[in-house]
Amino acid sequence: MLACLLPALVLFAVFMVYPTVNVFRMSFYTWSGFSPDMTFVGLDNFRHLIDDKQFVRAFQNTVALLVVVTVVTMGMGLFLAAIMTRQKLRGRNFLRFVLYVPNVLSVVVIAAVFSAVYDQNNGLLNGTLRLLSLDGWQQVWLGNQKIVLYSVGIAMVWQSLGYYMVLYMSSMSSIPEELYEAAGLDGASNARQFFSITMPLIWQNLRTSLTFFIMSAVNLSFVLVRAMTGGGPDSSSEVLLSYMYKQAYTNSSYGYGMAIGVVIFVFSFLVSLLVSRATRREPLQF
Amino acid sequence: MRRSFALAGTAVTALALLVGCSSGGDAGSGKTTLKVAALEGGYGRDMYTQVIKAYEASHPDVDVQLQISKSIEDEITPNMKAGKYPDVVVLGQGRKAALTETLVKDKALEDLTPVLGTKVPGEDGTVGDKLTQGVIGNLNTNPYGTDKTYLLPMYYAPTGLFYNQGLFEKNGWKVPSTWDEMFELGDKAKKQGIALFTYPTAGYLDSYFYALLADVGGEQFYNDVMTYKKDVWKTANAKKALDLTTKLLSYASESTVGYANEQDFTKNQQSILDNKALFMPNGTWITGEMADAPRADGFTWGLTTLPAATDGGKRYLTTSVESVWMPSAARNKDAAKDFIAYLYSDEAAEIFAKSNAIQPVEGIANSLTGESAEFYKLYEDSSVSALVGGFASTAPVQGVDIKATLFDTANSIISGDTTESAWQSALNDASEKLRQAGN
Repeated sequence: MLACLLPALVLFAVFMVYPTVNVFRMSFYTWSGFSPDMTFVGLDNFRHLIDDKQFVRAFQNTVALLVVVTVVTMGMGLFLAAIMTRQKLRGRNFLRFVLYVPNVLSVVVIAAVFSAVYDQNNGLLNGTLRLLSLDGWQQVWLGNQKIVLYSVGIAMVWQSLGYYMVLYMSSMSSIPEELYEAAGLDGASNARQFFSITMPLIWQNLRTSLTFFIMSAVNLSFVLVRAMTGGGPDSSSEVLLSYMYKQAYTNSSYGYGMAIGVVIFVFSFLVSLLVSRATRREPLQF
Repeated sequence: MRRSFALAGTAVTALALLVGCSSGGDAGSGKTTLKVAALEGGYGRDMYTQVIKAYEASHPDVDVQLQISKSIEDEITPNMKAGKYPDVVVLGQGRKAALTETLVKDKALEDLTPVLGTKVPGEDGTVGDKLTQGVIGNLNTNPYGTDKTYLLPMYYAPTGLFYNQGLFEKNGWKVPSTWDEMFELGDKAKKQGIALFTYPTAGYLDSYFYALLADVGGEQFYNDVMTYKKDVWKTANAKKALDLTTKLLSYASESTVGYANEQDFTKNQQSILDNKALFMPNGTWITGEMADAPRADGFTWGLTTLPAATDGGKRYLTTSVESVWMPSAARNKDAAKDFIAYLYSDEAAEIFAKSNAIQPVEGIANSLTGESAEFYKLYEDSSVSALVGGFASTAPVQGVDIKATLFDTANSIISGDTTESAWQSALNDASEKLRQAGN
């Protein structure tokens, strides 16, 4: 048995455990990433983080993105999955395909698509608003510091929504039809059926996907921010990973970057734990 | 058992092949292999292959291996971290990945001062004799403020305010020589729906700020700012520079901030070609970068310095310099130094110049024609001085990036998300932290 596991364990140790431990180790040093000069500074890098306004801003942005994007993606994913599973929609398969497509696109393509959508002069969004005589609603979507983060968030939702919708559709379609028929005979509305039958029966799936989504959203936010805004204007859309990258690789503060990496690790771990605890329920089966 | 031997034999063979492939040497040929890494910038890659071919023709004992890419830092950094360094690197400062700056901070560059005294291969003079006066001995070439040169200037190009000469001629406008004239022009242009100013991204303000600081307070003040003199950002000169900039930014085109990112920056550049904005800070590479872009009738590129800070005052022209340097961990240092010296030969300079890569070699600018000649003519104006260099290198300071504080805040000034006094205060804080870090 151990012999079978050994290759996997070795790979896991080399590619997962060792780099992770190394991130923790490097966070106690000042080092540029190149020179052999590494100075042990203990918790100094972490002390700097507390006073670093840019880091605090990046942290706030990350939390805001995670909350908003998770709620919207999960909410819409569940809603659309329920509609597509329970209602006899015409063109359902086509709609499912259209919503799923963004998931297979490269993030760089998504950034380019949204760059065109958000273009302040010739973009689809402002163009549509002009067409609807809603000129006052037009925005500089990637230039307004108050909304740029949410502009990135919308791109994240667009990219992820289809995948989670399909995931939930697959769980929902396995729920026996008799349960809904019985509930219908008892006079339960569609909403009541959703909250009393669908949600409890796909709860384990929902829990797992929620944790998975939050972790992947941390990564996705970095890639999209890098491609769409570069963290700007003036750091207003900076997220933790993009700030870590800047410090480690362009500010020659590799140790400091690793300290940010440790914070991301601990933060992700705690969020997963929190989500896991908060969503723990007795599993229901049919 | 036999199967085990076969497997072990296969594994050993595979490993041997891998080792053979990774060594990349040509020990058997007796040639010196020189690894050259270069950024493929606006000048293209052909000029490098031609120069290397010419060098190899006169140095049959040297095999030059060129690695060239638009993101050369991403390609050589992993190898460098694994201890495999190129011998020669052609890459300037101010790039996003900041590889050159990182090696400067690490003191990991080879001292190239001896190269200045080396004879150019095939010629009588030394490299130092051929270089244009003033391009050596600044913080760009001597980053530690000593007399030792670690980065040799490879190409130089004037940067400043680019505009459409055709539009000025059509409207009978004069290129402003003072800031008062500049803002008067801004008001006139506004009436025609044209903005006075834009920038591709805030990072391009390096073409603007360094010259402005020298214009306002002279070279001593500029050096004080670049070397983080205590409370330098609280001085009247610094306030004047920020006052002028804040006023200029109030004339910026509305679309500037929204397009000032990696995806959309060419849309800001396009606004100059479309006569929607008058001036933008940029470098001479802009003509090549926007060569295929549509443009207004009668469009001709023009380049000017910033307006003088005082009537008749001296004007500085920020000069972009791309450098050649050697990592101190390079293996073939002598051969690399000889190759670098060759890069300044007449033969190499001629090849480079054909691709508009102009080296700071005496007399070369006189051979230019067309648009480039007009741009380089700015240096002939007696009231204009070239300004080379930028912020001095210090030990890294966690979370402090003074260039980002100086340039990127312009976005917030335009959008009204911050104030000039907050900008001044942030600059002083960043400067003070870097001063304390020292080098």
